[in-house]
Order: sequence, then C-alpha cells, then structure tokens
Amino acid sequence: MALLQAKDQQYITDEFAKILVHPVKLVVFTQDTDCEYCQDTRQITEEVAALSPMVSLEVRDFNADKALAIQYGVDQVPATVILRGGDQPKDYGIHYYGVPAGYEFTSLIQDITMIGSGESGLSNATKQWAAALTKPVHLQVFVTPTCPYCPPAVVLAHKLAMESDLIRADMVEATEFPELAEKYDVMGVPRTVINDNFFIEGAVPEAALLKKLQSAIAN
Amino acid sequence: MFNLSQPETFDVVIIGGGPAGTSAAIYTARADLRTLVVDKGLTAGALGITGLISNYPGVPGPISGSELVATMREQAESFGAQFLVDKVVGIDLNADPKMIQAGTGTFFAKTIILATGSMGRTASVPGERELLGHGVSYCATCDGAFFREKAVIVVGNNDEALEEALFLTKFASKITLIVPTPEIKASLGLIDQLSAHQNVEIRLATRLLRVEGSGHVEEVAIRSRTGQEESIPTSGVFVYLQGGKPITDYLMGQLETSNEGCLRVDREMQTSIPGIFAVGDLLCSHVKQAVIAASDGVIAAIAAEKSLRGHKMLQTDWH
Repeated sequence: MALLQAKDQQYITDEFAKILVHPVKLVVFTQDTDCEYCQDTRQITEEVAALSPMVSLEVRDFNADKALAIQYGVDQVPATVILRGGDQPKDYGIHYYGVPAGYEFTSLIQDITMIGSGESGLSNATKQWAAALTKPVHLQVFVTPTCPYCPPAVVLAHKLAMESDLIRADMVEATEFPELAEKYDVMGVPRTVINDNFFIEGAVPEAALLKKLQSAIAN
Repeated sequence: MFNLSQPETFDVVIIGGGPAGTSAAIYTARADLRTLVVDKGLTAGALGITGLISNYPGVPGPISGSELVATMREQAESFGAQFLVDKVVGIDLNADPKMIQAGTGTFFAKTIILATGSMGRTASVPGERELLGHGVSYCATCDGAFFREKAVIVVGNNDEALEEALFLTKFASKITLIVPTPEIKASLGLIDQLSAHQNVEIRLATRLLRVEGSGHVEEVAIRSRTGQEESIPTSGVFVYLQGGKPITDYLMGQLETSNEGCLRVDREMQTSIPGIFAVGDLLCSHVKQAVIAASDGVIAAIAAEKSLRGHKMLQTDWH
C-alpha cells in the first residue's frame, strides 16, 4: 500500500518538475536483520524517487557494501544519504539516520528541492561564515517523527552542510537510536549537537544557530 | 505525515481566532476572499478565558468571553470563512505563496493576518529554563516518547494542557495535572476523557514553585490551595502556562519585534513584509480590549483586500 496519498504525490511531482534543475541521488543503506525501520525507509524513498526523473535511488546493503558506507561516512542503519547526482556527483555530508517519516518526510522533500535547485537559501552572512571555516563541523539533530518543530532544525543543519565541505549534518531519529540519544542526554527534541560537546535546544532561527556555531568553533 | 490539507492557495490565512482574527475573517470572507482561520481553541486566548463581559458594544451581556468569541466565529463562518483548530508550528513569510505549517497540515496563502495575541510567556519558574530539554518540555507530542513508563507532571488549565496530558497517557506511568486556577478552563469533554484515566491525578488551585534536579528533572515543588509546600518526585514537567507576552515564537525571527516582543505595523496594520499584517494584542497597544482588537482586524482585512484586488483607495462598505 502506498504511503503517500495521491494529492500529496501530485503536489510533490509538480514541485519537483518546477524546481529541480540538478539531478538528485538518494543512497539508502539497509540490512535484512535487526533493523525495524529499514523496510519503511526503503518504501518511502522508493515512492519519492518515483515522482521525478531527476531523482534516483540506490539501495545498498550496509554489510555487503561496507566500503561504500565508509566512503559516505555512514555508520548505522537505516541511513539515507542525499547527493547531487548526474555527471558531477557531490557528497554534501547530508544524512538521515532513521526513517524519514512523520514530520521528517517534509525535511526529505525540502532537502531534495534544495539540492536539486542548487541553492541552500541561507543568508549571505551565514554563507560567508561557512566559506571561511577552517575546522570541521559535525551537526547531529535529534528528532522524533511526531515533533512538528523538528524539521526546521534538520533542514537548517542540512543547508549548512550544503554550503561547506567541512560541515556534515545528520538527522538522528532518537527512538530508533536510543544509545545515541542517551550518549547526548536527549530528553527533548529537537536537540542539535555540535561537534559532540555543544548543544542547542529547539528549532532556532538561522542567526541564533550561527551565533552558537561561532562560539562552539572558537572553543 | 506530509499532509497538504488543501493545495489551493487561500487568499487570506489568519493565525489566531480571537476577536481580532475573527473580525478580520468576517470582513475578508464577506468580500469573497478565500479565508482560513487557524486557532488553538476557544480557551486558548485572552477573551476565551474571560469570565463575564458586559461592555462589548452592541452586546449587552453579561456574556462569557468564549461565548462572545464563538458568536463572532459563527458570523465569520456564515460568510464562508473556514476555521481549523490547530497550532501553527512554522511559517515562511517570504515565500511566494506564503507557507503556513500547522500541526495537521501545510497551507499556502497570498496574505497573512497575524492575530496570536499576548498570552505567551518565557520560562519564569526557577529551574524551568535550566532544565529545558532535560525533563522540562513544552511539547508532549515531541517528547512524550522519552517518558515511557515514567511519572510526569503537566502544568496548565486549558484545552492545550489537557490534550497534551491525554497524549502522555500513552507513555507515562503516572500523570499529575497541576492546575493553577480553582477550575479547569477547558472543554468538559476533554476533562472527562482525562479524568477517566486511572493514572491521572488532578490538583486544582495549585502553583508550580520550582523544578529541581541535577542535570535532569528529579522533582517539583508545588504549593496547594492549603498553602502547604509539597515535593513531587517526577521525571518530566510539561508546561502549558500562559502569561502576558506577545506570541511570536512561530515567526522564528522573520519579523522584528520591539524590546517587549511587540510587532510594528503602519496605519493599515501592514508589517515590514508586504502582504503580512498584524493585529490585536500582538501590537501591545495602549488599550487592550476586545473591541480594539476587532477594529484592528477589520482594518487589516480591508487592507488585505486592497492589496489583493489592487484598489487604489480604501473602499468602505456602508451597506
């Protein structure tokens, strides 16, 4: 049974047709056992990829394709990596750990339109900061699928990853990865972890995240 | 849950269904503009919790605030305005068309009238700010899963507090509802539903004094109607209290606010972004009364119509 309703399929098809100028590739890592949401992740990404000739999907086995997983920096499943596809492929360091379902489905669609348009939509001030970065930044945005405030935090982190090769950004679905949630003391979402040691609660505007990033990098 | 409730773009989406938003809806709907009002519920706003009103012009009363709002809503609906009980969680004022994300779906609008009032607050209870994200939460649907089989506290007295408490019954082993007023100001149906749960305890006329814990929430201090201070061990505190600050958090900084958090508009209620209007208590007007909010709403409605239909001059409706 399709997960997407017909009217939503039509809307996304039209948006993709209007906006996508660059090809977008989704690479999904799954495994057959011990992965409760691998099948759902596969189904969601298959349905989305079917809505545009500009979006392609590759499904890989996490164990059999270990080398590829390492190349993309993927260390658990289910994982979805969103790349620019086609002749000039590019890995922006944009990941989803856990099924992009519930409210996070909108993040997935927004990320595809962002990469397909070639434009992150960030302000000039943020773009300048990202361009001047000399140290790596790892953002992990913890979410739950029923959290309506989480997608803006995820999308903002992914926009930053698009702007700089030094920035990687993961959505992490907290209930699927409880050990990670415990490691970073996640009891409320969205919670963004910056380079393992700095934290920001809630979905904050771009300017506020930039300020926090600046102080996190300085330390 | 991607849910495009209605892909067709509304002419006007009004956020907040109090006297400001609903009066605007009366005018825009009557002018045949496709109008949607998104509102958290009859008990969410200042008028909704006001006891008895006898000085609203044209309404001798006494009438309760929620009855007055309900009457205004029926009037707006009679002209074709649609009302949705929901909370706006995100908005893009600069997109074209403008995008509003509510809990249950995404909507598009050519113009938006912001009418969310000033029942907002910032963290004010000792321990609340420090332990936010470590047991203190403002969103049960977001964070409920982290409190499976644990005891939690919910603080509040309106529809939102009760709905969130109901959601938590799926996860928590025990829920204590701390109600700051002698009565719960929510719909009876909700009160009955919540009271029917075995693991829910309701404490009326009780104040939350402190949230305590080292690193995460461990207990709360409350003062009950007897005046006694008490400690309740708990893992989570979900706070749905109301205050006196303009509610602008969902704008995510897209509009500038004054130091007090108020929005700025011109004489036609237009903000700095074309097609975005703000009315009522959001403006922190000198006089905060329902009839003032209503007049703001009407000015914005007429200005919105003008911006959509390109009238050079305001056309007033005398009949």
